[in-house]
Order: sequence, then C-alpha cells, then structure tokens
Amino acid sequence: MTTTVDQPAAAARRLDIGSGSISYFRAGSGRPVLFLHAAGGAGEWGPHHQLISEHFDLIAPDHPGFGLSDDLPEVRAMDDLVYHYLDLLDRLGLDQVDLVGASFGGWIAAELAVHSPRRVRKLALLGPAGLRIPEHPVADLFIMTPPQLLGALFHDPGIVESLLATEPGVEDILRSYRDLGALARFGWKPYLSNPKLEGRLRRISAPTRVVAAEHDRIIPRAHCERYAAAIPGAELVVVDDCGHALYGERPDAVTAAVTDFLAD
Amino acid sequence: MKFNFFHLMPYPYLPEDFDDVEKYPSMSLTFSNSHFDPAKGVDLYHRYLDELEYADELGYDGIVVNEHHQSGYGMMPSPNVMAAALARRTSRSKIMVLGNAIPIRGNPLRVAEEIAMLDHLTRGRLVSGFVRGIGWEHYAHSVSPADSRSRFNEAHDLIKKAWTTEGPFQWIGEHYEYRYVNVWPRPLQSPHPPIAVPGAGSPETMRWVAENRYMYVSVYAPTKVVKTWFDGYRKAAADLGYEPDPENIALATPVFIGESERSAMREARQHVEWLFHKGLRQGAEIVFPPGYMSAPAMRGLLKAGMKPYPELSFSELVEQGYVIVGGPESVRNRIGELRDELGFGQMMTMLAMGDMSAEMTRRNTEIFATEVLPHFRTEQAGETPPVALAQT
Repeated sequence: MTTTVDQPAAAARRLDIGSGSISYFRAGSGRPVLFLHAAGGAGEWGPHHQLISEHFDLIAPDHPGFGLSDDLPEVRAMDDLVYHYLDLLDRLGLDQVDLVGASFGGWIAAELAVHSPRRVRKLALLGPAGLRIPEHPVADLFIMTPPQLLGALFHDPGIVESLLATEPGVEDILRSYRDLGALARFGWKPYLSNPKLEGRLRRISAPTRVVAAEHDRIIPRAHCERYAAAIPGAELVVVDDCGHALYGERPDAVTAAVTDFLAD
Repeated sequence: MKFNFFHLMPYPYLPEDFDDVEKYPSMSLTFSNSHFDPAKGVDLYHRYLDELEYADELGYDGIVVNEHHQSGYGMMPSPNVMAAALARRTSRSKIMVLGNAIPIRGNPLRVAEEIAMLDHLTRGRLVSGFVRGIGWEHYAHSVSPADSRSRFNEAHDLIKKAWTTEGPFQWIGEHYEYRYVNVWPRPLQSPHPPIAVPGAGSPETMRWVAENRYMYVSVYAPTKVVKTWFDGYRKAAADLGYEPDPENIALATPVFIGESERSAMREARQHVEWLFHKGLRQGAEIVFPPGYMSAPAMRGLLKAGMKPYPELSFSELVEQGYVIVGGPESVRNRIGELRDELGFGQMMTMLAMGDMSAEMTRRNTEIFATEVLPHFRTEQAGETPPVALAQT
C-alpha cells in the first residue's frame, strides 16, 4: 500500500512488520543508507533527505509510534527497537547499510552497530543521545513548553521566531504529542540513555563520524566527544553556528558532513 | 445523598512574590521545598487532622484524603498515613482514600497490605480509591507516563486478586512479578473495601470504572464538562447492561458558605483564587506529560477548549460551576440543581480551601453541616441515615 503525502520528491510507503506496519520513505540510487530520525522529524521529507538521496539509496523509516508508523506495542524498549531495525533490514534484503542517526535516532544507530557491527558499513551519528553522563545532563525535553523546546533546539533565534509565528492546529499538537509519547516509551527512565552503552561502543567496527553542533542546548557536546572517544577510530566534526536540530538548522553543512563521509 | 469532607492539606505560606509566574511556574514539582517551614508543617498537619475529625463529629458521611507528591498544593505523599491517624480518632464517617496513586508507587502489594490494615483499623469504614496520579507525579517518581495506564490496570488487578484470592499465588505480569502473593491481613470488608476512581474525561477511565462497577468521581471542571463525563460513565454502564447507583457518581467541588450571598462572594474570592490561580497553576507539560493521555483523550481535551485554571476569573469559576459559593439557602439550591442536572449521589465537598484560616474553615464546615446537609437528609427520610451504619 502506498500513502501519498504532500512531498515533492518522495512518497511515504508502508511495510507490514511486527503487529502492524510502519511508514518509510525510499528514494535515490546507489549504496543503501538507513536514516534514523530524531525525536522530531518523523513523517517528513526534508532538504537533508533530498540531498542524501541525490547520492545514495536513502531509506528513512518512522520509528514505531512516531509519525505515520503504527504503535507496534511489542516494541517497548531500546533492545526491541534494535531487533525491529534488524528485521527491517532483513525484510528489505539489505545485508549491510550505511547508517545515519540523529539524536534519538543516533542512539538507536549506535545500539544497532554495537549489536551487529558487520551490518553497518559506515556510521554517522548526529548529536546522538544514548550516553549517561551525569555531569553533562541532557535537557528534559518532556517538561519543556513548545516555545522552550524550539528555543533550545535551534541556535538561530530567527528560526525559532518564524516557527513560533504560526499557531499550531489541533492535528499538529496531537502529532507532536504522539511522537513525544513514543519517545517517553523508550527514554523516560533511564532518561534517553542506556548506562551500559558507553562500555560497549568498542564493539563498533564501522568507520564512524560523530557530527556535533557547536551550540547544543539539548544534548551537551560532551556526549559527542565521549562517543568519538569510545568508538574505535571515530572522528568528531563540529558544525559551527548550529544548535541541536542539526539537519533542521543547517541542512547543507550537516548533510555535506554526512555525504562526504559516506562517499568513499 | 451523601456528603464527604475532602481535605487537600495545602501549604498556604507562599513567598510574597509568588505571583511571579516565571519564577514560580507551579506549586508542584519545581517549587523548592526550601519554602517549607517544618515548624509550620507540624501545626498544619495537626490542624488539618483536627478539621477532618471535626467533620466526623458533625456527621459527614465520609472524610476524604488523597495523594500528591513534591507539592505545596497537597502535602499528602502518603494518604494512608493520614487515614491511619484518623482511624482511631473518628468513629462514624467513612474514611475515603482518594486515592492511592498505584502506577507510580512501584510496589502494589504494599498498597494492598496498607489498605487491608486500614480496613481493620477503621473497623470497615474504609473506601479505597485508586488514581493514576497527576502528570507531574510521574516526573516526581520517575515513572514513564507512557506506562501509566498499563501499570495502573495491572496494579489494580493484582491488588484486587491479592484481597480476594486465597494465597499464596504467583503473579507474573508486564510490570510486576511476585513469586509469592499472600497478604496478611486480608481486608475486613468482603470481598474488599469499596473502590472509587477519580476521572477527568478520559473515555478509557469511564469504561474501566463502569466495567468494574466502581464509584466515578469528578475533578475540577465546569458543570457542562462534568455532565459529559457523568453521561459518558452512565453510557458505558448502559452499554454493559446496567444503570449505576447514583451513590457511585460523585461530584468533587470546593464549597464556600457565608452568612449571606454577598458576604460569601466577598469572603470566598481570595481563597478560591488561591486554589485555582496558585495551587492549580501548572503548565500542560507537567499535567499531561508525553504518553500520559491517549490520542482520543487528548483530542477530547483539546476540543473541550478548557481554559487553564489560572486564567479563569473568580466570577467565571463561580458561574461555570467550578466552585459553589453563596449563603446557606443558595448553596442548598445550587446543590439541588446540580444533583438534578448531573445525577450524582455523593459530593466530595472541599470546605477547607487554599489559604482559609482555621476559624473560617471550621465555620464553613459547620454551616454546611447544619444548614445544608440536613436538608438533603430529610429529603431522603426513607433511607437509613448513614450515621447509623457506623460501627463503633
């Protein structure tokens, strides 16, 4: 079944999996790239997707409970998400992919690469969640008002101002309430982290690039630094004048940092 | 009709600049306990327990306590402690715990045990309420709101089975696992204490309460909204093939009685405003954290278009039925009208409101008991007066 959405370059598709089905975008050609979205950004085809799909076969699913994907109530915790994505790769017949994950999706990507290192050719983590660093706490997304959250996501106040200029409708509120509710399912406690993850990152064998925002007010940059230090051979790239919403705030620079890395 | 005296046990001594909303977004969760003065706390607890005991003396059918966490709005993290304190100092009223917030309490068997003990201490006067806990309490006790309802349902099922099934038995569920369930004591009331559940419009709660034939209790809302809740509960019961006893429908509302209509309006304002503008000042993000509400419940809430409590003026609060304020006669009439319109058979009257003084609370409690309560008792003269049911 294909659901048409109001997007210029790619239409959302559906795939039966688990107890229901998920929604995903797939566009472009070349090596397959699995793109795992952040807490926000489900169900959207953005400029970053477009740019990556110009060089690769981009597969961008909505996580269970997010965007247009079903809840899949059997997927309750991070380990379930890892198995969900391994199933997805099997279903799509993809033995190995380049894996890109942002924020919450970066955490999933890191867990997946820890679990099945050989299925990941290259790994790009954009402002990833997932580590527990008490001295650099992650901001509490759940308790923020929408203006506070937007204000913390972007470095450029102009972007925040223009986003706040439009009053959200009931459906917009329900959509983001559902996405955050799904995030609560996976990341309320321990808060957006797996305390065991850092010690396991040494298992990752794929060349890894960690992309950090210069001014990250959601996940402090120390998290990116710790990822880069713990993953063998990983490199850290910092995007200037940018907040946590990396590909939302500076899609050109952030996508270039990803595509350049995946190119060779 | 039955009348119960509901005490929230608020902490009324707020800093002078508490109207600064930026500085103090709420009295709960983030309002620092540096503002709590233990010496005042001692006096407040004893004063509030005196007020509940006084309501028992005056013939209220029930005295009501509840559970809130990390909050000056209600200082009862454990309602069971307060119920225990009341058990041996009262003898007539039901003691209603409205309720234990079972999803966030972690160990439901502890609740089963405490309620069973309280049932004995009160000689079977206990009503056991169960609540999910307000959103902020899921932050306060670090329980995911996305798990709140399934934890509530499972904890309830476990507690009920622990009360009604001979042990030991094993419980293996999604959230709780016990190899031995065998609570001592078993409850005194058979098969278990009556159960009451507050609801705020969630269709899942209405259906669940109707399925279990429990008491459905409203929380602060305008009359027209409460009507949709009670109708929803009755509809859910009708779908299951029965009509709920009006005593299983309870209206919880603050009530202030003055000597006259005019003096009541003048005197009540400050305390009503304290409750709704200070006590209930809280953003949607802490009341309905992500995952706490189902999509249909959230949609219903957004469409109901209820204003946040602090944005309601005193006169709106009175006119829309959030509170009842007036002289004795108008309060009597108002309750009669509401009963006819909404069809409830019990009230949880909040006669101790916000920063009311001890004297004012006592007077309010007394006037209600002498000028309002008998009116409704006489009306139902055919019924056994509830006081006679008390076991002494």
